[in-house]
Amino acid sequence: MSKIAAVSEALDRDVRLCVYDRFLETGEPPTVQDVAGALGIGEKDAEASFRRLEADHVLVLAPGTLNIWMAAPLSASPTAFRVSTPGGAWWGNCVWDAFGIPAMLGSDAVIATADPATGEPFDLRVHEGKLDPVEAVAHFAVPARCWWDNIGYT
Amino acid sequence: MLAFRSEATVERWCELRGVARGATFAIEQALELGRAWHADRLSPDWRRATPAEAQAIFASVGLTGDFWRLG
Repeated sequence: MSKIAAVSEALDRDVRLCVYDRFLETGEPPTVQDVAGALGIGEKDAEASFRRLEADHVLVLAPGTLNIWMAAPLSASPTAFRVSTPGGAWWGNCVWDAFGIPAMLGSDAVIATADPATGEPFDLRVHEGKLDPVEAVAHFAVPARCWWDNIGYT
Repeated sequence: MLAFRSEATVERWCELRGVARGATFAIEQALELGRAWHADRLSPDWRRATPAEAQAIFASVGLTGDFWRLG
């Protein structure tokens, strides 16, 4: 790896960790300016890192902007999955990501969702890594090889 | 990926949306997938799974077949 590539890789790691720290702390993703300020780097460097992380499918930016839409498993926009833990509450991008939030935090969680066909609300409760008994199934509409054609609809 | 109460409501949703049925699987598999995929996300050493690693994770939670093929 070249020296420049190694520096970019280290910066991208710091930016990634900063994004998750802020997102978890405030419930909202940080901006380029927030990250630049927190890390003491220039906004152009932070922006370039956001774009590399987007290209690597680590972050998803809202189309045509530098605003973070997804830092999986977290979503900046409300979704069908509200994940409440003893340490806070966030939106999960999908049920896979909703379960990923307590896994990432090593905590219990209550995931509030609703059946997309009937609107019936129900909870998915994770306790010590196990799912409380619940009548539910998961459904992926789009085959795996096509997910990144439109990551907002899988 | 969405959560439904039953296979019947998956079917109903697909009819309402006019979309083909995708893959339906146990909610516990989604839990395992979430854990396998995201548990180390906050580690400084985290890196995105390669396609081969991702395929192995799907297989480890019983998600196999053409629908789950990445390449």
